[in-house]
Amino acid sequence: MGNRRINNNIRTLRFFQDEMTQQQLAKKVGVTRQTIIAMEKGKYSPSLELAFRIALVFEVPLEEVFSYDLENDVK
Amino acid sequence: MSFQEKNITVTLVNFSLILGFYLIRLFQMIQSGSFNSTNVFRLWGIIIALAVIVTIAATVLTHIVSAIIQAIKTKGEPDIEDIKDERDQLIDLKGTKVTYFVSSIGSFLSMLTFVFGQPPLVMFTLLIFFGVVAQIIGDILRLYLYRRGF
Repeated sequence: MGNRRINNNIRTLRFFQDEMTQQQLAKKVGVTRQTIIAMEKGKYSPSLELAFRIALVFEVPLEEVFSYDLENDVK
Repeated sequence: MSFQEKNITVTLVNFSLILGFYLIRLFQMIQSGSFNSTNVFRLWGIIIALAVIVTIAATVLTHIVSAIIQAIKTKGEPDIEDIKDERDQLIDLKGTKVTYFVSSIGSFLSMLTFVFGQPPLVMFTLLIFFGVVAQIIGDILRLYLYRRGF
């Protein structure tokens, strides 16, 4: 199982939300700022629940925040 | 450095000091010829009591010091991220898994000394040694995962 198969646009979406800070997003979804940093760097893939909460904050569908990299998928 | 990282660092330093204290006391006992069940079990008690008391005290102290430092930095109400989110819990779980693994191997090796004819005191001495070492290794892994992101 690859580590970097789930990509995200959190950084871009924060930018379009009046440059929302990592701390503000962390507070809204109930995690620490370090978790947001780890997600933006692609080091940590969130749980489905957290992924939905992030999508709800940005008011976009889940697939606009997260995408699945099929090319690196292990057969 | 997050609050959880600070907490783990303090625990790691504490357990390293406890391990040092344990080994020094053990060598002193062996050198002075007082390596007997009374002294070894007393040392057991001291180590376990130290581990519990020092860990609780250190956690409280870390919280207070972090609050003071942040209050000075922000010149206002301190806002400490002491919540444990899903990433913290996963890191904790991985650390605990490694701690139990090392502890199990240590317990097995300790019992093996008994099988090979060593006195029971050696087994008990090694049991607590591996217990503390397992905790240290688990904490090192937790810190590594925090530093790396996950």
